[in-house]
Amino acid sequence: MAMRELVTGGAACAVPGSSSSSNPLGALANAIIGSSSKTQGRLQEIPTSTAAPSDSRFYPDTNDHLSALPGSDFGNSLQQPHTQGSEFLSGFRSANQNGFADAWDEIQHQNQIPPHFDQFHGPVPAALPQPTLDGPPQRVLSSFLHSFVGSSHGSIPFRPTSLPLLGLSEGDKQCIRDRSSIMARHFFADKSEDFINAQVNALLSSLEIDSDARVKGPLPGRFQELEDYWNESQGMVRPGAPAVDGWITEYSQHRAAHGDPDAWARSFEQQHGANGWASEFEKEQSQLTSVDQMRGVNMPNFEAMEQTRMLAHTLAQNNDPKFQNSKFLQFVSKMSRGELIIDDNQVKPATYGDWAAEYQQQYTRGPSWADEFAHNQLSHGPEQWVNEFGTEREQHGSIDDQWVNEFSKLHVDDWAEEFEQQVGENSAANWENAYDEFMNEQVAAKQRSDASRGVYVFSDMNPYVGHPNPLKEGQELFRKGLLSEAVLALEAEVLKNPENAEGWRLLGIAHAENDDDQQAIAAMMRAQEADPANLEVLLSLGVSHTNELEQAAALKYLYGWLRNHPKYGTLATPELSESLYYADVSRLFIEASQMFPKDADVHIVLGVLYNLSREYDKAIESFQTALKLRPHDYSLWNKLGATQANSVQSADAILAYQQALDLKPNYVRAWANMGISYANQGMYEESIRYYVRALAMNPKADNAWQYLRISLSSASRNDMLEACDSRNLDVLQKEFPL
Amino acid sequence: MADSTKLKSDALLELMKQHLTTDAGKQITKKIGLVYQINIAPKKIGFDEVTYVVDLKKGEVTKGSYEGGKPDATFSFKDDDFIKIATGKMNPQLAFMRGAMKVKGSLSAAQKFTPDIFPKPSKM
Repeated sequence: MAMRELVTGGAACAVPGSSSSSNPLGALANAIIGSSSKTQGRLQEIPTSTAAPSDSRFYPDTNDHLSALPGSDFGNSLQQPHTQGSEFLSGFRSANQNGFADAWDEIQHQNQIPPHFDQFHGPVPAALPQPTLDGPPQRVLSSFLHSFVGSSHGSIPFRPTSLPLLGLSEGDKQCIRDRSSIMARHFFADKSEDFINAQVNALLSSLEIDSDARVKGPLPGRFQELEDYWNESQGMVRPGAPAVDGWITEYSQHRAAHGDPDAWARSFEQQHGANGWASEFEKEQSQLTSVDQMRGVNMPNFEAMEQTRMLAHTLAQNNDPKFQNSKFLQFVSKMSRGELIIDDNQVKPATYGDWAAEYQQQYTRGPSWADEFAHNQLSHGPEQWVNEFGTEREQHGSIDDQWVNEFSKLHVDDWAEEFEQQVGENSAANWENAYDEFMNEQVAAKQRSDASRGVYVFSDMNPYVGHPNPLKEGQELFRKGLLSEAVLALEAEVLKNPENAEGWRLLGIAHAENDDDQQAIAAMMRAQEADPANLEVLLSLGVSHTNELEQAAALKYLYGWLRNHPKYGTLATPELSESLYYADVSRLFIEASQMFPKDADVHIVLGVLYNLSREYDKAIESFQTALKLRPHDYSLWNKLGATQANSVQSADAILAYQQALDLKPNYVRAWANMGISYANQGMYEESIRYYVRALAMNPKADNAWQYLRISLSSASRNDMLEACDSRNLDVLQKEFPL
Repeated sequence: MADSTKLKSDALLELMKQHLTTDAGKQITKKIGLVYQINIAPKKIGFDEVTYVVDLKKGEVTKGSYEGGKPDATFSFKDDDFIKIATGKMNPQLAFMRGAMKVKGSLSAAQKFTPDIFPKPSKM
């Protein structure tokens, strides 16, 4: 991971606007991580490798490693090799971070590599005859670079080769020069400096890149200074803040030097879509989380590694070749890969596996440099963060704008302090979840926005499509109480006959009973389009909008019910239809109920209306009147229960729901309402069981999932949150049987 | 209910008000012990805001600004976003990140402003 970041630190390293050839290098980095000869631990996790690695087997296995290169069949198997690439960070949200790196690699590949690139290199021959070097420049360059990597497997001196004209820009050259010298030091870490320089020079001269004297050479005095700071901090002396400040300033200078950040933001957005921001965010998040946890008592080992890694990453983005070559940077990046450990204030080569434990020991003895770094990072990090996101403002308009301002107004120190106070309260986990949710939300965003705009969202893979009579089937299933199945059959029906009001209506009812008001509203609106005067449809819309607390819409449909009713239509006055006032509408319904007091329907509508105005006692009365006339209406019992619950008579509500469930055992809405009533009484364990029951019948009931999550944390069952977040019903049902 | 542009949040905060009189509500008051002021805007934060005080010291919900000094934290939301947060559809931290929620006052007080302090509306 660390190394890939060093190499693919593409955003900062690639020169904007140039036809950057950084993509082969990105692929190269992946190759190294998959095939570096130094890391046994890593190799065991690579799917293509066999057990018990030893140095001798790298020769014959080279083919395997290389065929697992992302470039060889990118587009489908990118994820796997990457996520297994580094065991070090695997405990630290590596999948996401890798995802980010992957995304970069992928973008670069897609944009810049001609399609036939993926036909190139099956296996690169292990014995290193130079691959055929012809074809378009990209292909030549990448195969050339691969052979350079290949040379690392056998530590064979790399021979300069003459290449056709590649037309590399200065920026490309700079990039290759800097990165290849870093890389070479990674995979030839066991070789002498001279050997490494020879290798790099061979590579560079083949590419007609000046192997600038700056690439090699010992540490200049300036970096000696940094090393001193380093040593000092190891000796438990507080490192002066200037060192860190220095890095940060330097880092930002270099960032600035790489051009207009806005341009970068725009192109990133273009290539990557909004999710790109999310992953960037995610990355920042890990920073924040790790800082936070570091300041807590237990510092997971991976965090330490992560800190080092970020330090290495930050340093690596400094494009000054002198600096890139510095022993300090090498030291830090070795640290970050766990190749060096610090034991008793002495730097030692790592024994794999023990690294973490030893580091932990070291850490607990006193404030280590990592802690210090975290400290400084914390006070400077947010500013960078704000700057970075400031660029987003342009695309997202004023709200973000205000937000950024607000954020930067916060006193960073206060923030840190308060943040620290929260450590004991799982706040880190909350923040983490916030980001996870952000990601999920991005994914689901489109669907949701469709649904909230009243567009019906059809299920994928509907088995009833092609059924000879899906409406009949749907009605049958609905009667049997198999709501989710009925939904599918009815979807098939309305796909077949989009103007079938009855199909849409029943679909809407099925969704409402399945506790999904958004879909219910969407379906009912289609039903209303097909049959504008259908009373049941109008009432359902009124009820669903009431549930969603959309009072104006609810009022409109309930008034529509009255106006279209054969008996009460005469009461409606045309001039009302434009601007509806609740008082007028309720007055009309009271009149109607006096006209025909034995009509259960009018009492039901009146009950819904009283719910809108939150006159719950009157609403309960209306529903009870209706129930006397129609005692077997399960949805009416549920309406009574919900009204009682909303007027904090939860115990009564549970009795009413029970009535509804006796009449219709698969009534998901009533099960979910049961859960709500128990939760509102503070009986969280019970509520969990009912939510789980509801979800077992309709896993798509999003509300119930959200409420379940709240109940789980209120009941201190955080151990089950993961099952909830991954919507693992098997686990939940086993844990919370009803 | 005279005008039809009422906020969704009104319904929820009314429910909250009732809820705080129940045993479960009193537990929440005991657990949190803070005063929150909530500004709710129909469309855009800062415009046409309706102010509520959710006093989890006394267990009250009142309309209008807090008069007992300084609330521990003041939040500003859009109507829809407040509903999303109170019903667990949106995580408060997430809302803050996205600018859907603004916070003034103590951050540690703000951190306790979580969906579990709100009662859930039941559905007909």
